[in-house]
Amino acid sequence: MSTPMDPKARAEVRRGWLLSAPALVLLAVGASGPLLIMLVYSFLEAGQYGNVEWVISFKAWFNVVMTRDIFDGTLGFADAHLTIFWRSAKLAFLTTVFCFVVGFPTAWFIATRTPSMRTALLFLITIPFWTNLLIRTFAINQIIRNEGFLNTGLLYLGIIKEPIVMLYTDFAVFIGMTYVYLPLMVLPLFAAIDRFDMRLLQAGYDLYASRWQLLRHVIVPVVKPGIISGSILVFIPALGAYVTPRILGGGRNMMIGNFIELQFGQGRNWPLGAALSVVLLVIVSVALIVYTRFATGGQDKSHG
Amino acid sequence: MSNDVAVEARAACKVYGQGAGAVTALGGVSLVIRKGEFFTLLGPSGCGKTTLLKLIAGFESPSSGQILLDGQDITFDPPNTRPVNTVFQSYALFPHLTVAENIGFGLKMLGRPKAEVAETVTRMLALVRLEKMADRKPVQLSGGQQQRVALARALAPAPKVLLLDEPLSALDLKLRKEMQIELKRLQVETGITFIFVTHDQEEALTMSDRIGVMQAGHLLQVGDPRTIYTRPANRFVASFIGESNFLTGTLSGSDLTLDAGPRMPVERADNAPVSGHVTAAIRPEQIRISSDAGSGIAAKVLDTVYFGTDTHCVLALSDGTEITVRLQSPVSGDVGLQTGSQVTLTFEPGALIVLPEVA
Repeated sequence: MSTPMDPKARAEVRRGWLLSAPALVLLAVGASGPLLIMLVYSFLEAGQYGNVEWVISFKAWFNVVMTRDIFDGTLGFADAHLTIFWRSAKLAFLTTVFCFVVGFPTAWFIATRTPSMRTALLFLITIPFWTNLLIRTFAINQIIRNEGFLNTGLLYLGIIKEPIVMLYTDFAVFIGMTYVYLPLMVLPLFAAIDRFDMRLLQAGYDLYASRWQLLRHVIVPVVKPGIISGSILVFIPALGAYVTPRILGGGRNMMIGNFIELQFGQGRNWPLGAALSVVLLVIVSVALIVYTRFATGGQDKSHG
Repeated sequence: MSNDVAVEARAACKVYGQGAGAVTALGGVSLVIRKGEFFTLLGPSGCGKTTLLKLIAGFESPSSGQILLDGQDITFDPPNTRPVNTVFQSYALFPHLTVAENIGFGLKMLGRPKAEVAETVTRMLALVRLEKMADRKPVQLSGGQQQRVALARALAPAPKVLLLDEPLSALDLKLRKEMQIELKRLQVETGITFIFVTHDQEEALTMSDRIGVMQAGHLLQVGDPRTIYTRPANRFVASFIGESNFLTGTLSGSDLTLDAGPRMPVERADNAPVSGHVTAAIRPEQIRISSDAGSGIAAKVLDTVYFGTDTHCVLALSDGTEITVRLQSPVSGDVGLQTGSQVTLTFEPGALIVLPEVA
């Protein structure tokens, strides 16, 4: 590109930038603006009644991993924070895996129906989106609480003698998140399976593959893009989930989302909340990079 | 059971659906395919040839009857346990795998050691002349190359029988001709029994050791290409494979008195009637036209159509029957037949064949 562009082409390029300027500005302000604010806040002092003091400080970042004992002032590892991060990552991961296990057969079933049946089933999948997340989560609460439908039913049938405690456990959060995020897994999986050429199954079956081998060596690799996008769509919001752990996990089984909210609310520690938000962002980014590398890298390796 | 039988179908019947809406795709076909032969199932679409292929591959099971491979009953064995591989019409190559991985797929599924798979893949790549394409993905190949990968993939596990379901129909004419020669070469080199399904009579005639002609779920005739062409078993075979003129007349002994007048010597196809009013067939290229009135069938020239190497001449007999004669075009390109002129048609004994009556 050493030759200078002629003025006409240059004007063309300039006009292109000008035309896309409104969208670019909106994107820049809307996407990176809040992130920048968080980044800046994480390096400030906490105000007495919330908000921030405009004094540069690394205290918030320090507090993410270390904690000072309130009584004797000794430094300690902030294991409570790590527990919350670990629980969030674990629950988000389990939710993603379980959504896939349940969502894959569902998507396969839908994709192999007649066109009119398919439309109806996809419509059913989207129905939960019509109601508020809060209401749906409370519905789950009603089902799994000690006097809920599930326990009452099991007690009535005599299968159990005492109600099983499910509400306000990690299990409750896991079930709730699986329920909430399942459609986000099913839809991209459906799109991928819908494009899958069923004749490949016949070819694989003809070439001595068992059903399991067909799944492993033909179906999964071919619909992999759908699995990747479905997993991303479930994992990211699950990691930062707020409503579900709040209602189904109670106060003790916090996830990162609740913990961040706590800092901005009762905790009155905005810089810590901001620093935790940045950590969450970094975790998600790293997880995404590792996951996509892993998912596509396996394919590249087999090129030999 | 004789040792040289590869595949045998015994009264294989396939009915789709039930009750009034049931469709018979295959109405009791019995067929013996020998080891190492290039056998073609030929017929129009919907004749049941692909259904028969699916029964042999195992994708469908017959409503009644049996399929035997090497003398063993495999009627209800699933496809992944049959030593039979298929080249699909759509190729159905695995898009996520390279050419080499596609070819090695069958052996890998069979759990063969890696070294053996690699060795076979190299040999197969050489066989179909795609050594340089080993690391390409199927989308990066032309139609002809994809076709050869599909072939190599199906041949790699060394099946006892290779099934080919109209594999050339997606290729253009020139490539199709090349692949016909290629297929025949592969069959001779590997010695594997090929069962080839097509609706293209030319493909069938040029490649096959034997042809089975099918129509409406039934096998009409099985024979080598020359027999099928020169001694068609019935009117359908005579008109589906090549072109035929049909003449009617009264048969007595080995002579046929044509409705159009003269008495001609004839041959009889199997199951043809021995006397009475019959139909006989003659190929357009077997007829000679002479302008002087002699012994033969008198006819009037209706039209001549120039086809390049051939010129087709349409004539009418005295009873109105239309006859097409195929002449090799002379150097000048003009066969010298004026429309409306009177000519005489002759042919060698044996060219006119009496056909069985259509049931």
